[in-house]
This record gives sequence, C-alpha cells and structure tokens, in this order.
Amino acid sequence: MNGYGGSILRVDLATGNIYKKPTPVKLAQDFIGGRGFGAYYLFKEVPQGADPLGPENKLFISSGPLSGLMIPGAGKCDFTTKSPLTGGYASASMGGHFTAEMKYAGIDSIILEGISSKPVYLLIDNETIELRDASNYWGKGTIAVEKELKEKFGEEYQVALIGPGGENLVPYACINHDFGRQAGRGGVGTVMGAKKLKAIVIHGTRSIPVADVKAYRTAGRALYKACKEADFLSEWTRYGTTVVTSWCDEVGALPTRNFSAGSYEDGKNLYGPVMREKIVITDKGCFGCPSPCGKYSRSKKYGSYVEGPEYETIGLMGSNLGISDIEAVAHANLLADDLGIDSISTGNAIGWAMECYEKGIFNKSDTDGLDLKFGNIEATFEMISKIARKEGLGVLLAEGVKKASKKVGKGSEKFAIHVKGMEQSAYATHNATAMLLAYMTCDVGAHHNRSWAITYDLQVGRDLVVPEKVARVIWLQNFRPMFDVLGGCRLQWVELGIDRDLYVPALEAITGIHRTWDDLEKVGERIWNLTRLFWARENPGFDRQWDLPAPRFYEDAPRSGATKGQITKFEDVNTLLDMYYEQRGWTNNGLPSPEKLKLMNLTEFLV
Amino acid sequence: MTAIIRPTSALRVYIDGKDEVIVESGKTVRETLVTLKIKPELIALVVVAGEIKPKDYIIQEGDIVKVLAVIGGG
Repeated sequence: MNGYGGSILRVDLATGNIYKKPTPVKLAQDFIGGRGFGAYYLFKEVPQGADPLGPENKLFISSGPLSGLMIPGAGKCDFTTKSPLTGGYASASMGGHFTAEMKYAGIDSIILEGISSKPVYLLIDNETIELRDASNYWGKGTIAVEKELKEKFGEEYQVALIGPGGENLVPYACINHDFGRQAGRGGVGTVMGAKKLKAIVIHGTRSIPVADVKAYRTAGRALYKACKEADFLSEWTRYGTTVVTSWCDEVGALPTRNFSAGSYEDGKNLYGPVMREKIVITDKGCFGCPSPCGKYSRSKKYGSYVEGPEYETIGLMGSNLGISDIEAVAHANLLADDLGIDSISTGNAIGWAMECYEKGIFNKSDTDGLDLKFGNIEATFEMISKIARKEGLGVLLAEGVKKASKKVGKGSEKFAIHVKGMEQSAYATHNATAMLLAYMTCDVGAHHNRSWAITYDLQVGRDLVVPEKVARVIWLQNFRPMFDVLGGCRLQWVELGIDRDLYVPALEAITGIHRTWDDLEKVGERIWNLTRLFWARENPGFDRQWDLPAPRFYEDAPRSGATKGQITKFEDVNTLLDMYYEQRGWTNNGLPSPEKLKLMNLTEFLV
Repeated sequence: MTAIIRPTSALRVYIDGKDEVIVESGKTVRETLVTLKIKPELIALVVVAGEIKPKDYIIQEGDIVKVLAVIGGG
C-alpha cells in the first residue's frame, strides 16, 4: 500500500506473543493513519470500562503516510490510549525520528497489550522483533537509559522510553525520545509503565512504497522551497516556540502564579531573546525539519544540559510558579524529562500546591517541611522529584489537580486549573473566549494544540461571544489535528505560514489517492466525533458539565497585568457551549446526535 | 522620509495582499501599525536589520521593518 509501512505489529506483553498483520486497506482509506488509526483501534479494541492501568488497556503507536518521507517535519508519531489521568481519550504527538524508523521497519502501528511480569524492552530491528529483559534499566532516568541503549545498538537505532514517573504510575507520565522530545500528555507513559515496558528500540532499512516518485519529489521540493523562502524562517529557527513568550506576557496569556494572572512582572527574564543569549547552545530539529524549533541549552548555574525549555515549559515551570530565572526553568525541564513526567501537568500541580500553601490550606507539615511559596526554586526541584517518585506531598500531586483538589477541598477546587482532569497548557484564558472554548472542548482535556484560537480572540474582540468564534474553533479542531493523522508537523504551516495546499499534491503522489483539505477536514471531523463517543462510553453521566473550564476563568479576575479585572461571565461560558454543540450537531448535553453519527458514518461504533 | 513595513503572510490581508507597504518614517511601529489598521497586540515580533525591536521603536528612514503575527498558533 503506497505511503505505508504495510503492517500492524502486535505485542502481547503478558504472553510474549508477537506478530504482524497487513495494514487493512479500509482502515487506511477511512482513518488515513496516526491519530486516526489510534482513535479507531482504541474504540474497537479497548473494552468499555477497562482499567487504564490494567491488562485490557492498550497503547497504540502510529505513524502516518507522510512519516519518514522527505516532507518538512514528517517525523510525528501518535500515541493513543485510555488515559489514566482523565479516564477518557488520550492522544499525544511526539516529534523526533522514531516514526521514520517505524516506517523503515515496515510498521504503521505498534499495538501493545497485556502486562509483562517483569521489566522488559522491545527491540525491533527489521524482522527481528523480541522482548528483552530491562531489569538493569528499571528505576533509571530517561537520559542515561537512552544513552546506554544508543551505545549498545548504535546511533541509527531510535529509542522511546519512560522514566521513574512512568514506572511509578504517575498518571501524567510521558514517553521520551531523542533526549528531549516527548509524547507528553494524558499519561501515555503511565500506560507503558503499567505494562512494565521500559523502552522500545527500533531500526529499519526498508524503503517506503510511493505511488509516483517523480511527483513526490516535485511536491516535496515545493514544500521545502516554501519553507526556505518563508519571511520569518531565521527568527523562528532562532527562537522556536519562545517567540510567543513576550507576546503572551503582553496580551495577558502568560500563566502567572497558578493562572491567577496572565502577565508576569518579571516575565522579561524569560523572553525568547534572553533565553537565546543566556543558555541556548544550538538548534535541534526533528526528522526532515527545515525550521528546527528545538533549542539545546546549558545552564552553567545548575550544570545541566537540556533540549528546551520551549514555551509551554517556560509558562508552566516559570511564570506559573513565580520563577523568573531561565536557568532554573531549564533545570526543572531537565528534571521532569529525565524522570519522565509531563512538564505541563507537573507545573500545574506544583502551582496549585503553592497557592494552597500561600492561602494557608497547606502548612509545612503538609509540604514535607518545604517553604512552598511561589518563586521557591529549590522547593520546585524537590517537588518534581517527589511527584515522579511518589514521595511525601508528591503522592497527592501525582494524582493531578482534579483529584488532588477534591481530596483537599477547602475551596482549592476553584483554582485547580484543568478540563476533564487534564491540566491546562500555557495560555491564560480569563478574557479570550475562543481560546477558552478551545480548552473546554479539546478532545483530551485542557490542551492547546487542537485549536489555538487566541489570536482570533484578539483579531475580532476578545470578550465577544459570537457564532463566528465558535466556527473558528471547530474548523481548527477539524483541521489542525490532521497533521497528527498524516504523521507530519503543523509548525511549518503555523510558524512559517506556508500554503497548506502544498501538502495536497505531496499526499497524492505518496498514496496515489487525491484528497483536498476539505476531504481531510471531513476525516478530522469524523475522528473528533469518534473520540467524543469514547468519552461518553467510558464515563457514565458524561455531559456538558465535563466541558466546563476552571472557575478561575469565570469567577476570579486577575488583579494585575494586561487582563486586570477582566473575566468571562459564566452565562457566556454556557452560551459558548450551546453554540458549539449546535454547530457540531450534538445534543444540548454535548453528545453527538444519532443524525450526526449517521452523517459521519459512525453508527457502527455505537454501543 | 520613508521606510518599508514587511508583515508576515497572515497579515497581508491588511495591506491588500501585498508583500510590503511603504510608510512614513519618524513614527513608532505601534503608531504605524494602527495607521495600517493592524492591531499592534497581534504582533509577536518586530525585526529591523536582524535585530528585535520593541513596538515603540521609532522607524528610521530606509528601515525595512518585519512584523510577525502568530496567527496559526503553537
């Protein structure tokens, strides 16, 4: 099948049974790849009510038809599972080089099922596929283990692995790769830890069949040419995602002290140019990337080397914790990466605990003696370790802010910043209604990458609640995640502004199937509805209450900064949901209607 | 006494689809953006001769001012 590795690999960790089957043609036609494959398999193969950490849950790792080919940023890999953090759908996208090796090994998806009786790692070397003992690696950090595995097998072998956070079943553990790339959100690393799978080592040497080689080269060259000629290529490459740090601070979107404000009085110390000058050594890109956004940094103060921090980590482990030292943020980033926990959820959990401490809900007997005030760098480092190792206060914070705040009570639920149990990424949304709706309705919880609508708020009026805003959010939700379906990176479109229509002839040349963006958005909409069904199937009583944002954004206006005194009214929150459900063709309780499911050809998925 | 504003592609809709527009020098970038009906808060980065400048930078004669908006997002 053109554009595909050609097989689905199944690994039963319990029995050691490993086998491949051809990738179903209909699956490729209907769901294309990546996130689409993951959503399909999750719904079909994980039984209703499965324990996310039990043997019935599975982890689906999928490439897409662009993966491993000479298309800008074609190194994206999707990890899908039932989330141990939220109990719903989890899908995390990881850059790097892993997915290219999957394709070169002839694999489109790796399906991990069952639970091993002892720590193991999975070696995939073309047709040699076996589970090996990982006892020597269990308990070690990701940086050291990846280095050991690279030295053992060779630089061309790619590694995806978990750290102690995943081994200890922290529900927001991530999967690491290439010493600094992560499948970060929703606890995909936790599921790997539950299966006692420390790492996957992969290498392949096969070619990928392409429908029209000449047209593929022409279309690929056109994409690279557009990237190379983009106006701001040098600036994006120089600063990566940290381009937006100063802008977020200016417009009140930079999370500050547990999202109590959107501007940080010491934010200047965290801006992209400051970071570049103080700690960045070089740029680091993923497979086939012409605009490497990764920044490899060194902190002299802490003696650490790390890929990052990128914007999300600066927001959540910097301003959100009242920390203005970029070297401290870089070191916190390294700790989280090495221990294998998501820096976004971790920064949120520590921010919530700091607010509890400053409000007197926690005292030193709750914090293991730590003076857990905002801005305490050493306490932050300690808490990252305690969360990953589930020690002291880390046991509570490792549950995520939704569950932790329910246990603690005393009003702390009001400043637990999450949607559906997933902690919010680094955009404060006190007065940005499109972005707030994007977080409320995101398919994994409060994550930004499906629909990044905050500039649209600024363009049309940030407090406006109008159907056009809702339509924009929905369009982005249908369109942007398609990059995760195709196995490519959206940042060339996002950052460099290249024409997305340039991907159409490339995809056709590779797969032999002509699909316009209208066609692709229909697939995106279908997947969106399917994942919504999964939430409803797995959570009895699932309704619009699940889509509500943190009360902070409709009850607690910032006392300083660009959004001082600004807030979204609760009635507007509900109006946004009403409009959203109507435009989606869902019931007023947020469930896809039978008519909509029929229209989406999803009736076979009804329970 | 003129200079050039060169916006990122997503902002060209504000200048009739052109790649760049000639403006008067002597005003700040912020004032000039307002004149062009581009909201200054949309702009994430101002670059002149490879250097990042604040929005209050006064545009000098002959400057080529690149302005970047993050429309697509992170």
